[in-house]
Amino acid sequence: MKRPKLRIFSILVISLLIVTSSGLVFGSWYLRRLEETVTAKFEGQKWRFPSKIYSDTYLLYVGINLRSDDLLEKLRRLGYHESQSSPKRRGEYRFQPSRGLVEIYLREFSYPTEQFKGAPVRISLQGTIITKIENLATGEEMVSLELEPELITGLYDRVWEERRVVTLTEVPPLITKAILAVEDERFYDHHGIDPVSVMRAVWVNLRSGGVVQGGSTLTQQLMKNFFLSDERTFSRKVKEAVMALIAERKYSKDQILENYLNEIYLGQRGSQGIFGIWEASQFYFSKPLSDLTVGEAALLAGLVRAPNRLSPYKSLDAATKRRNVVLVKLLDNQVITRKQYEAALRESLPQREMIKVTNDAPYYVDYLRRELAENYSNDVLTAEGLKIFTSMDLQLQKIAERSLAEGLKKLEASYPALRRRGEEDNLEGAIVVLRPQTGEIKAMVGGRSYQKSQFNRVFQAKRQPGSIFKPFVYLAALMSGGEGRKKFTPATMVEDAPFKWSYDGQDWEPGNYNDEYFGTVTFRRALEKSLNSATARIAREVGIKRVSEIAHRLGVQSPLPAVPSLSLGAAEVTPLEVAYAFSTLANNGVRARPLAVKQVTDADAKVREKRDIKVDKVLTPQLAFIMNHLLRGVLDRGTADVARRWGFTRPAAGKTGTTNDYKDAWFVGYTPDLLAVVWVGFDNKAKLGLSGAQAALPIWTEFMKRATAGTPVTDFVVPPGIRIVEIDPLSGQLATPNCSYILREAFLEGEEPTKTCPLHPVASPQVSKFD
Amino acid sequence: MKILQDTFSKRIYLILGLASIIGATQSCAPRPVYRRPPPSSSPPASSPKVPPAPAPSPVEEPPRTPLPQESKIREQDLKTKSPITPPAAKETVKPPLLAPPEPTTGPLPDDSSLLAKITPGTPPQRAASLRLTEEGRKLLEAGDAAKALSRLEKTIVIDSTNPYGYFYLAKTHYQLGRFKESLSFLDVAESRLSSEPFWLAEVHALRGENFRALGMSDKAEASYAQALRLNSGNRTANDALTRSQKPTQATSH
Repeated sequence: MKRPKLRIFSILVISLLIVTSSGLVFGSWYLRRLEETVTAKFEGQKWRFPSKIYSDTYLLYVGINLRSDDLLEKLRRLGYHESQSSPKRRGEYRFQPSRGLVEIYLREFSYPTEQFKGAPVRISLQGTIITKIENLATGEEMVSLELEPELITGLYDRVWEERRVVTLTEVPPLITKAILAVEDERFYDHHGIDPVSVMRAVWVNLRSGGVVQGGSTLTQQLMKNFFLSDERTFSRKVKEAVMALIAERKYSKDQILENYLNEIYLGQRGSQGIFGIWEASQFYFSKPLSDLTVGEAALLAGLVRAPNRLSPYKSLDAATKRRNVVLVKLLDNQVITRKQYEAALRESLPQREMIKVTNDAPYYVDYLRRELAENYSNDVLTAEGLKIFTSMDLQLQKIAERSLAEGLKKLEASYPALRRRGEEDNLEGAIVVLRPQTGEIKAMVGGRSYQKSQFNRVFQAKRQPGSIFKPFVYLAALMSGGEGRKKFTPATMVEDAPFKWSYDGQDWEPGNYNDEYFGTVTFRRALEKSLNSATARIAREVGIKRVSEIAHRLGVQSPLPAVPSLSLGAAEVTPLEVAYAFSTLANNGVRARPLAVKQVTDADAKVREKRDIKVDKVLTPQLAFIMNHLLRGVLDRGTADVARRWGFTRPAAGKTGTTNDYKDAWFVGYTPDLLAVVWVGFDNKAKLGLSGAQAALPIWTEFMKRATAGTPVTDFVVPPGIRIVEIDPLSGQLATPNCSYILREAFLEGEEPTKTCPLHPVASPQVSKFD
Repeated sequence: MKILQDTFSKRIYLILGLASIIGATQSCAPRPVYRRPPPSSSPPASSPKVPPAPAPSPVEEPPRTPLPQESKIREQDLKTKSPITPPAAKETVKPPLLAPPEPTTGPLPDDSSLLAKITPGTPPQRAASLRLTEEGRKLLEAGDAAKALSRLEKTIVIDSTNPYGYFYLAKTHYQLGRFKESLSFLDVAESRLSSEPFWLAEVHALRGENFRALGMSDKAEASYAQALRLNSGNRTANDALTRSQKPTQATSH
């Protein structure tokens, strides 16, 4: 009888041993795993640092025509705060319109290759002109000054954690003591978990009938933030406690505290989460940690519990109450004296406006991402905290966005047939803005709404350019001559009548708009009025291959089929290519490579990459000038003359573009300093039914009017070797006093007409030579 | 007979063209830009008052009212330009290496001071651009080419017509060993410096340095020679010739 009992007992003991040893094995394996996890975090890469994209710097110099509103808006976007008295701290400014003074206490910033020191400066204005810039710290007059670039957006993985890591020695003891006072008073007395705190929390929660107080130590909070979710479950709490014990066993209190101060979440600025004590100090007070007052330190410490509810941006009252609770704690713990306590209570919290980082240029940022992807993986871009400095002018970018959005809306209001119900075939548009001299892409809007469509029409949409391609034909013609080819000048008479162009066994018959033909017109008139027949005749004379070569030379990169219809723009190009090619004309024949990314630095401010301005002289300045002079006529009296009536009166050149089937409307136009291309159409290539002058030109005009307002008026400089001659546009010959119409035309020296107008004979010619 | 035919067809074309243009003009709104007011009539009240232009010829021409839409050329800028310098690139006869070419001008006075070019009449953007160019030049001389490049790029952003900015950008790229880029900037500088022989000589001399660095000694020699032709006192070109003379002299002894 004893044997079965013994057997059962033995089985039980053995089972128990097996279970216990299995439990021990599993437990030690699990502990080992947790330890590895904790170690990996503490000793590996703790945080991901998103790369940040910045605009170009903002240069101010003596003599610049400056709208104070623009400057103030810029300062506001940069997070500068207006001060009633002379600015005393970095990040403050004061504007005194009656005295024509703007005082700014500049912030420090490091730009690749240059470190800009924060200093108080005074800008004197006479009307809208800067007359003097002084450094108030040194008393020196300055030639120019630069405002730091604006943060456009961050490139992050899932969430944007904004933080700068600091060491414990960089954090004033008052701040750490304030945080410990409200979050974990017995931090230096426990080993990761604090039974006293737990008991107290249990007691409070039992009395209140719910979970109102936690007993987590600072180490447990760190473990939760590092590894675990916010859910309040028993298993999570156990895991958190075990990890805290492991961390306390392996690492010092100071190491844990330092990690905590860098890890904690302390607020939200739009899509940007504010993490760590350094970032919070900047976000709430625009100050380094060492400059924080007792009241400010207490406020930051108080925020840890509920950063958004207690934020002074949300409620000054709630933030003040919480700050005062922390101050009481600090007084009780004798961290501060009564005098300090009372002074801190008197500190008022200023009402401040939160400047959110909203990414106002999503299409531009996508373009940058594509450019950056050539050299940096997505992992590098989202984790290594690169700084990407770009050519973007945020002011121009906003103007471009607004002009496009408003322009398309107006078109839909004026032409209701353009309103479509389906989202997929909405009326769309794109605008790209370049500085011709440098190739810098100053603004880019790839569509009407980034939320609805991320397709960037500036560089991804290949569309027929229509008549904006014609200037390449005319340029090729001006460059032709010799080898039996006809020589063209702006005054050459060309025929504008229906004709057939036989090519490769096929006939092509280009037709004019409304089938209206003008017989014989000057070269200039044919371009200004965008006459298809005359243009095609010129292209036939020059050779279509030559036209294609010229377009490529200027900057078009897409393949261009050498067929007759190319002369009227029957190829497919992107708006960016169009901008590139025409910027060569605007820049006197010098092609400047489009430049979006200028410099990339790593987290240690070491330059990883610098892209310089690259130029190539591909055309003589004389030919470029003649083209600009011709294209100026398009705005002054050609297909785009309505822009003048709409109030854009600066010297500018441009060309309208409409495809034969009215699917695409274009306008490319430029002053010597700024070029913009506008495209309007439907993504599904439905018929738009409007010309470039009707659809794209209004948007361009609005953009240019706003973009150039207040800037100096510049004109195209006439290079040597050009003769300006007064001609009769009807005959293309030198004007006489009897000519009713005259035009000042530009010619290459030696190519100007020598005969007087046969239509209005008698008087001697009026020729002026400029060289 | 053929001549008669040609003349006849030309006339026909002219008449047809004239008729079509007149037709076109009538079909569009009249463009005031083309219209010259009749000599007897007074300008419209809304037209801006313009002082009568100086008579260019014995035949008195009635003053023409410029209209707002007309393409205007800045004559005041143009008239200050000096005659065109003969093209330099197409050298058919190579200058001898050891015998410097006969300079067409003597040594020109030093015109390298950029700040001296700023006068009360200098447009503000040109003045600011020149000051930044000067800063860039100093940085370059101090050996900080990277910083100089950043500063000099701003000079052409402020004033794209500042030729000295392009010249020093070329010099910076040369110092950074980017000879092709340097040559591109020199092309731009040259087209904007045609009326300044001192600076044009500097452009040719630096071009010579770039060609030399690229191993294109023939082109380098031609560029140095051109620089000396413009300014026999050009130091870069003279130094280059001295350098090329030294080894030859050493072997001749």
